[in-house]
Amino acid sequence: MFRELAALTRREFLKLARNPQAIFTSLMLPLLYLLLFGNGFSFNVAQFVNHALPPPEQQQQLSFLLDQYFRGAPNYYSYFAAGMVGFVTVTATLFIGANVIFDKLFGVFKRTRGTPAPSAAVFGSRLIAGSAQPILLAFFVMGLALAFAHVSGLHGLSVTLPVGPVGALQIVAAIVLLSVMFATVFLTFGVLIDVPQTYFAAVNLINLPVLLTSDALYPWGTMPAWLQNVSSYNPVSLAVNVLREVMFGSGAYPYGPGVYLLGLFAWAAVLVGIAILLVRRALRPLE
Amino acid sequence: MPTNVAIEVEGLKKIYNGKITAVDDISFQVRHGETFGFLGPNGAGKTTTVSMLTAGLRPTHGKAIVDGLDVSHDPEEVKRRIGVIFQESTADGDLTGRENLEVAAGCFGIPGSEGRSRAKLLIDQMQLSDAADRPAKTYSGGMRRRLELAVGLINRPRILFLDEPTLGLDPQGRAGFWSFIRKLREDDGLTVFVTTHYLDEADEMCDRIAIIDHGKIVATGTPTELKDRLGGDAVNLRIQDGAPDLTGLLSGQPGVLSVQKQDGTYRVKCQKGETFVPRAVAACTEAGAAVLGVTVKRPSLDEVFLEYTGREFREEEGPTATDRAVMLQRVQGQLRGRR
Ligand SMILES: Nc1ncnc2c1ncn2[C@@H]1O[C@H](COP(=O)(O)OP(=O)(O)OP(=O)(O)O)[C@@H](O)[C@H]1O
Ligand SMILES: [Mg+2]
Repeated sequence: MFRELAALTRREFLKLARNPQAIFTSLMLPLLYLLLFGNGFSFNVAQFVNHALPPPEQQQQLSFLLDQYFRGAPNYYSYFAAGMVGFVTVTATLFIGANVIFDKLFGVFKRTRGTPAPSAAVFGSRLIAGSAQPILLAFFVMGLALAFAHVSGLHGLSVTLPVGPVGALQIVAAIVLLSVMFATVFLTFGVLIDVPQTYFAAVNLINLPVLLTSDALYPWGTMPAWLQNVSSYNPVSLAVNVLREVMFGSGAYPYGPGVYLLGLFAWAAVLVGIAILLVRRALRPLE
Repeated sequence: MPTNVAIEVEGLKKIYNGKITAVDDISFQVRHGETFGFLGPNGAGKTTTVSMLTAGLRPTHGKAIVDGLDVSHDPEEVKRRIGVIFQESTADGDLTGRENLEVAAGCFGIPGSEGRSRAKLLIDQMQLSDAADRPAKTYSGGMRRRLELAVGLINRPRILFLDEPTLGLDPQGRAGFWSFIRKLREDDGLTVFVTTHYLDEADEMCDRIAIIDHGKIVATGTPTELKDRLGGDAVNLRIQDGAPDLTGLLSGQPGVLSVQKQDGTYRVKCQKGETFVPRAVAACTEAGAAVLGVTVKRPSLDEVFLEYTGREFREEEGPTATDRAVMLQRVQGQLRGRR
């Protein structure tokens, strides 16, 4: 099992390395979002502060508004940058299943299936490579947003709390869980579906509603109550909550990051469980 | 089951989606060390049979035993012991030939160092050394086929399945491919199950042949047996005008099966045309009829094939594996061109 998994995982990474354009394109999209969307859509809550009040009360009011609108982030960009990390994690998993379909079309999958390599190795290798991409991309986005804060004329991510080792681990865990979860879902689609068009239709059916019902991009305070409710159970929101709490503080959150991580874990466990059932059936040694 | 049987098929049947009967109750045996040809027109059910024998497709009915294992019960162990060359190309174009081989070795659980040395050996054997570290998408058709063969041999199988292995190769490529197979047969006693549309190849390479049509086996035998069943050699004797009738004289010669006269030419069907001709010429000359010309035609496997599978052109319901392979090659070519 281990040798098969190692060989097939090596193949996935070799394929990645042979397609540098694909890596370049996958970096361009978040870069554009961070530059254009994040800097174009500025939403300044300081304008709502009553400047007739004495300065300490002004400060109190601002902090209240920041909690209300940005869940404790110091400005919209910082709020948005944390959301972008969740956003790119999901979008980076979209193509993973398509690779399975193209491998089926080009006969490569048939070769693998013609060997005794167990289906767990076939799926696992793709899951490893398929999760590594979004994980790396998530850290790329975070690094970029942090760097932008030091470029004059650009908005960037400002972290207002010291992030200790526990906080850092919580952030990593959230990103890993989110990546593995969506990579599993889209890989399963790739295994079950044979036609690229059908695959992309199915993926959009999941991807768009999930992203649009999360609080990754909208300012929390501008979301209607029903959307805030739905968003609380959304896995992207759960992951982003962890990031925001660790970086900006827990004031605006009913629960600590550990609870959201648990929620993410529950999502991941259910989805991976369903995937294992479906994939084991689809990749039986004999069709 | 006698131990010298490599493949035993009994009442094997495949019905796709409950309605398309692709393979219809076939039975045959292949002995160890034998090269067995499986011939048939497009859509006859060859690839479907290969898929069942290589544990890729579950038979609807019947039994297939490969190297002593039932493919339905032990698919993984069957896959471990056999080598397959699929009708379509299966190499990963982004990976080099060497990497393709190493990944395949890993899929059989072969340790890394052993996999690398097997890959190297096969690369040398298949004369791919110069191209071994180039992406497989840059390979020519012949190199691709040799890479496919190398991948199929990575687990040192005792039984090799080849589904139209020389499709699209030029005559040199085909000859080269078969010389590899011949060597493997001689060196390792490899059993080969091969489907092909090139009947001259089958004639030359196969110890025994089965012809399949509409999912049923319509003839089995050695190439010679099959050809002899068509009624031996066809000899045409052109005789000078005004000669006496020779029908009786020719019919009386040993080994003659039939004689037909058409204008000044006698069409004789006989066994062993090469010994019949000198005797016939001598007899005719003695009878005062000058022989102006002689042609001898051995029946080819093409004729056997057409005899058993009919001459009408096949209209297929859906694309067959050949169509898909050709389409795929076109798409791959386009992708390669764009990069
Ligand atoms: N997956 C499938 N689903 C439904 N029908 C199929 C499938 N694969 C093959 N068939 C049908 O089964 C029949 C046998 O096909 P098969 O590919 O075995 O023929 P073949 O002898 O290999 O043909 P070729 O010489 O063109 O490769 C054909 O009528 C084909 O259309
Ligand atoms: Mg075929």
